[in-house]
Amino acid sequence: MSVIVTERLTKRYGRRIGVADLNLDVPEGTLFGFLGPNGSGKTTAIRILMGFLRPTQGRAKIFGLDCWNQGHRLRRDVGYLPGDLRLYPWLTCREGLDIFGKVRRCDLRTAGNELAAAFGLEPDVKVRNMSRGMRQKLGLILALAHKPKLLVLDEPTSTLDPIMQGKLCQHLRTLAACGHTVFFSSHSLAEVERLCSRVVILRQGRLAADETLDDLRARASRAVTIRWGTPAAAQETRPPAALELIERSNRHWRGTLVGPVTALVSWCAQQPIDDISIEQPDLNTLFQGYYADAGDDT
Amino acid sequence: MNRGVMTKTWREIRWITLFFGLGLAVLELLLTYIIPTAFGAVPAEWFQVSFFQDFLKGLLGTQIGDVVGPRALTSLPWVHPVALALLWAHEIAICTQLPAGETDRGTIDVLLGLPVSRTRAYLSVTVVWLAAGLFVVAMGFAGNMIGSSLAPPDFRSPIDRVLIVVANLLCLYVAVGGFACMVSTLSNHRGRAIGLVFAVVLASFFLSVLAPMWEPARSISFLSVLNYYRPMTVLAGSSPPAADMLVLVTTGAVFWAVGAGVFARRNICTV
Repeated sequence: MSVIVTERLTKRYGRRIGVADLNLDVPEGTLFGFLGPNGSGKTTAIRILMGFLRPTQGRAKIFGLDCWNQGHRLRRDVGYLPGDLRLYPWLTCREGLDIFGKVRRCDLRTAGNELAAAFGLEPDVKVRNMSRGMRQKLGLILALAHKPKLLVLDEPTSTLDPIMQGKLCQHLRTLAACGHTVFFSSHSLAEVERLCSRVVILRQGRLAADETLDDLRARASRAVTIRWGTPAAAQETRPPAALELIERSNRHWRGTLVGPVTALVSWCAQQPIDDISIEQPDLNTLFQGYYADAGDDT
Repeated sequence: MNRGVMTKTWREIRWITLFFGLGLAVLELLLTYIIPTAFGAVPAEWFQVSFFQDFLKGLLGTQIGDVVGPRALTSLPWVHPVALALLWAHEIAICTQLPAGETDRGTIDVLLGLPVSRTRAYLSVTVVWLAAGLFVVAMGFAGNMIGSSLAPPDFRSPIDRVLIVVANLLCLYVAVGGFACMVSTLSNHRGRAIGLVFAVVLASFFLSVLAPMWEPARSISFLSVLNYYRPMTVLAGSSPPAADMLVLVTTGAVFWAVGAGVFARRNICTV
């Protein structure tokens, strides 16, 4: 079952494009990465999903409900953390749980206090006296306390320390394992790679890729280094089709794997080679390829 | 309505409501107590001076020259510019919170990320605003009653008459607040919304004061909200100004409804 579905979703701000023809399909129980550089349209798409912005064209649905017309109903089962989180200066964790519980018509105190203890947040500190990281923790607690079926997190780790990032990732993995869906926006590949099973990449408001992380890895380039037994072999041998040679030095070849790894290994077995190394897929290069030509803020 | 939004709104306005309520109570008490003495020292001839008459007429909304007396003077605390400024400042501060204030400080994402419709949130803030207004006006009434009990017997108005003035004042409060709510829904910046509403009520006040003295202002004085707020005629014993009150409440309700419509349909941009 799909939790989020968008069809040709488009938002224009005058002549500027926020998102264009965006088609998303987020299945239930997925840790879904929403990647893109600053200004690629991630936040615009999220704001449409949350019912803050009316799409210029197309439709967005969560749990089968229209995000613009039925936003308040679908948000019962959604936990949302804005990218640029601002909270009321007078709010404490305790008051926040009380007020949000009244809005949601459920008691959030038990679950919220457990999360506060897990995240190391004192319940009676006012937002005005909190650091940015503490505010982010409070925002996360308020988004998570009602155990939502869908979590929409817009760059949630931007102000968290590495320990807290680890705790959050662990918590999100547990939620996903229980069937909850996490829609995780980020511009950091490493973060998404660590957490998500499927990823969408936005570029200039348009969908650049929508794949599982395994598929992306399969497409990503892998660096290959070969050490030859003699300099003459290194200079005279012609590279196989599976290898794109970048550099040929005294006894070394450096290149990129462009075909099946088995083809390269079979070929190497018949050559006077001392050593070969094939590195992990380089997602960074792949993503940088997507991000290339990306404009400024959308 | 949503209890959570109401709790949040009340949490934000409770101190300013208490502050403005106490301020209005003290002001009403002092004016009610002091004005009879102060005006007693004004020579009777002054009330025949045309400019003085026009000024008081502008302030009180009716001719004072031939009816000046204790009753006329007891209405002054209800039209004193500081009293009106306190009341208006209080409601402008509350009514411009959603959505202008929330958008301005970026908290609207958190509020509207909750399962509450915009109309319900707007309605919830409105209920708190009206309750707070009722409290502030009630404090003014209490101050007026205490001051009145300390004033000479001639300067005490019947409580039923004062209550009609209070009702008229609440209608004025609704009209200005409804306008402030609408302006708030049209803006992303609270400062601009406050500035615009304040400019309009100030213009309305000046129009009312200038109307008796200046023909061009008189011809458009019906546009001033104070044209429909006449405590002196009420305290002088005329029938309750039902038509004026209806105009004020209807105006406020129309502005409020337009604001609700705009808020329900507008995009929420915090960047």
